[in-house]
Amino acid sequence: MAAAGVLALAVIPLLASREVVDLLVFTALYSIAGIGVTFLLGQCGIISLAENVFYGIGAYATAYVTTALGWHWLVALVIGMAIGGAVATILAWPVLRLSGHFLALATLALATIGHVLFLEWDWITGGTLGIGGVAQISFFGCVLNTPQRFYYLAWIVVGIVFWLYSNLLDSRAGCAMRAMRDRPDAAMVLGIDIHQLKVKVFVLSAMVGSLAGSLFASYVTFVSVDSFGIERAVSFLLIAVVGGAQTIIGTIFGAAFVTLAPNLLSRLGDVHPLLFALALVLTVIFLPQGIGGFLQQQIRRLFELSRLGGDA
Amino acid sequence: MSENVLMRVDGISKSFFGLSVLRCVTLDIAQGTITGLIGPNGAGKSTLFNIVSGFLTPDAGDVIYKGKSIARTSVTARSRLGIMRTFQTPQIFDHMTVRENLVVGCHKLSRSGFLSNVLGLRSSRRELAKMNMIAAGALNRFDLKGMADVRAGDLTTGQQRLLELARGTLATPDLLCLDEPSSGLNADESRQLRLMLEHLNREGTTIFLVSHDMDLMEVASTVNVLCFGEIIAQGNFSSVKVNPLVREAYLGA
Repeated sequence: MAAAGVLALAVIPLLASREVVDLLVFTALYSIAGIGVTFLLGQCGIISLAENVFYGIGAYATAYVTTALGWHWLVALVIGMAIGGAVATILAWPVLRLSGHFLALATLALATIGHVLFLEWDWITGGTLGIGGVAQISFFGCVLNTPQRFYYLAWIVVGIVFWLYSNLLDSRAGCAMRAMRDRPDAAMVLGIDIHQLKVKVFVLSAMVGSLAGSLFASYVTFVSVDSFGIERAVSFLLIAVVGGAQTIIGTIFGAAFVTLAPNLLSRLGDVHPLLFALALVLTVIFLPQGIGGFLQQQIRRLFELSRLGGDA
Repeated sequence: MSENVLMRVDGISKSFFGLSVLRCVTLDIAQGTITGLIGPNGAGKSTLFNIVSGFLTPDAGDVIYKGKSIARTSVTARSRLGIMRTFQTPQIFDHMTVRENLVVGCHKLSRSGFLSNVLGLRSSRRELAKMNMIAAGALNRFDLKGMADVRAGDLTTGQQRLLELARGTLATPDLLCLDEPSSGLNADESRQLRLMLEHLNREGTTIFLVSHDMDLMEVASTVNVLCFGEIIAQGNFSSVKVNPLVREAYLGA
């Protein structure tokens, strides 16, 4: 089934319109940024609303480094991830001492501060005007300047990032994380340094968010402060909730929901924000485990049915 | 301090909001023994336990472990020094399977770093496989056979206690602190627990035991009686049982 999914993804750009492929590129970019938020929520019990900050750091790093300094896009991407990781470390050390609602509020504050700084530090971000002419990504002379071309790169990066996260899920640190989520006291007694572990996962999610931001900047070649506001942070959290925080593959469905649903609904006229809200509420009510959790349940049920059928 | 004292609780006092809970409590936990702590409800047993394991810091006094003061070190650091505790209500990882719970118990035995986990390096995968093997062995020893893939939250209280104990012993602690380990167990499970404690003790684990269960307390070589924040008697269980102060405060009630 996974193979069928990959095949479908590979064929789509050959058949679909430019507009659809463009939306699917955004689905990929949001999957990359969303996986960090999903993982923090589902595996560590940390609600982060600050992912827009790191997405922005990646985007501005790529924009500034490729335009003002004229350096290669890959250097810019690495610089963005390094800055994102460093900022995350400095912020997470004190902030992750908090937990629950207080932590959620603190990350919301970070998201707001980040947005204001992106606006105010116009010598580097271009303020409300933004930065145009960001270098496009190219491999051996092939410039990824159409949605079709960028599509494959974006989804390959999704594959790599998800592979890394699935390694983490099924490892010593992954078990320690879930232990910390369920019972922090018992986790500490077993020798797990829960604060340090939280900081590490947070930094990883920041670096991945920054990676998504860099790709975004190279794709649209123009960054402006509107792309990195609170709404973006909320939509990243929506990806985790709608996709289902317990599974990592659900993130892709969450990202698809956040990118595709508003676009499809907007064809129905001015009521589309209302319809989006309605679709969101219905999803949360009827699929409390998210789309990923629902699919996992169905697959498990099918598996059990086929086993019973085999016995009879 | 004599050489065979593993932990000395030295003149510990603690009060909450002006209410004095522990007053100059001193007791020794000798290497290789089972040391008991009993006392009526509200005597301060849990507070003392939390001070020993690092969840609370004392207002005065010290906790000396292997000759070093640890009264202000973190829970995690104490765990790495070999101190393990269980909780009055079992703290198992509800949403994880029994096997995964035991794998977390091996956390201290393994070293692989976060980065090698993320990259899925062979060393990190091999380590997880080893942890899984140790966990599988513990399933047999602790009567949890066939439950490897059961969600730990679905176990009975008795099984949860067993799991918590099993998980706590995997990293071979030097000092195992047990808080009411037999509460919620049926007679059969209690007997099993007692055998298990004796077995662990024979293998060299020092045990600090808080319990209301007087049958279980018979395994202790020394019993300390805590009453309203003060130690009122110390000695072997049979001598403590006939101590008039103790009878008045606790057993005779």
